[in-house]
Amino acid sequence: MPVWQELYESIGSDRFEMISVAQDSGGAKAVDKWFDRASLTYRCVIDTTHQISSLFGWVNVPSAAWIDEQGRIVRSNEGTYPGEFKFNFGLGKLRAGDDAFAEATRDWVNHGAESEYVLSSTELAATLRPVTEETLLAEAEFKLALHFKAQKDTKRAQKHFAAAQQLAPDNWCYMRQDWVSRGIAYSDFKTSRLTSYLRKNTEDARFYNRKGLPDEDETRFITPEWIWTSALRRIKQRLRR
Amino acid sequence: MLIIADGKATEVAQRSDDHETLWVRLNELPEATGWQMKPEGACLGELCVPLPEPKRQEWIANTDEDEWLNYSEFADMTGQKYVQDGDVWSLSSIPEVRHSSLESAIAPDFEVTERNGNTLRLSDLRGHKVVLFTWASW
Repeated sequence: MPVWQELYESIGSDRFEMISVAQDSGGAKAVDKWFDRASLTYRCVIDTTHQISSLFGWVNVPSAAWIDEQGRIVRSNEGTYPGEFKFNFGLGKLRAGDDAFAEATRDWVNHGAESEYVLSSTELAATLRPVTEETLLAEAEFKLALHFKAQKDTKRAQKHFAAAQQLAPDNWCYMRQDWVSRGIAYSDFKTSRLTSYLRKNTEDARFYNRKGLPDEDETRFITPEWIWTSALRRIKQRLRR
Repeated sequence: MLIIADGKATEVAQRSDDHETLWVRLNELPEATGWQMKPEGACLGELCVPLPEPKRQEWIANTDEDEWLNYSEFADMTGQKYVQDGDVWSLSSIPEVRHSSLESAIAPDFEVTERNGNTLRLSDLRGHKVVLFTWASW
């Protein structure tokens, strides 16, 4: 969140609108601390049913769209970290993200349609996931799973989570939301590794389209270098207490 | 009976004699599904799907002192998917809406509540550049 705030301020809040949408079935309880910690001045929304991902066809977070003054999508991306950040992982920290998307966003706000990062309608179409019977059915299953989860009907929630995941195996939101609601640890790590793998090695790379971004060919996602140094520091702190 | 659609759940009446099919009372249809019956057909905002007379007769029933639409059949026609578990029906987004945003690249409109309590409609931000992004605590 702080990195998005930095981007927002660096461009100027009067020059564009920024909407942050948390895809979290846990609602305010799950996301408030993230929102609150960052003193955000842009628009913040909690979307417990992942409705925005469904509408834009996104299957992972973070994802983003640029929407121009006429309401047209001129770029849609998955894997849009606005800058480098660190997050807790076990005893240590991991690093993710890079500045490429933020730079491109700055350029688009400044230059509009003239920006080299604006996609043509053909290029854009290639980055939007097709709507198929399976993805629609998976969406209905996922929403049903979230409903039963909220009702604390775990058995029925699991049945529909499983159905959604089987119908849309490339939808990471369906998996990660389920993992976290079942308390399965390391979901971030697993997903980041797998996402990075997808970006590099499969045709899904097109949905993580970095076309035109400053380091188009480079994939920088997670570097585990902080795990050990940070873990050692924490252990030392604990011993001192 | 509960209908989950478009990010919200709506409690609606259930037809007493048929629990296998999704029948929705016409007066509850807009709130629960977004569709509204009009002389020209079923309409969702500016999108209207004609309902020829034979279909109207087949899909609209007068029973339990109310008018009901056979939403299962209607959804099959529009390609919208649905899943039932007990008294809960979950509807997918509407393919026509998704396709039109794919083709025209006009962003699909939505209405959400901001954390500060304000209602936000994407289309209200026309005239501004918008960066929309998702994230999650997980």
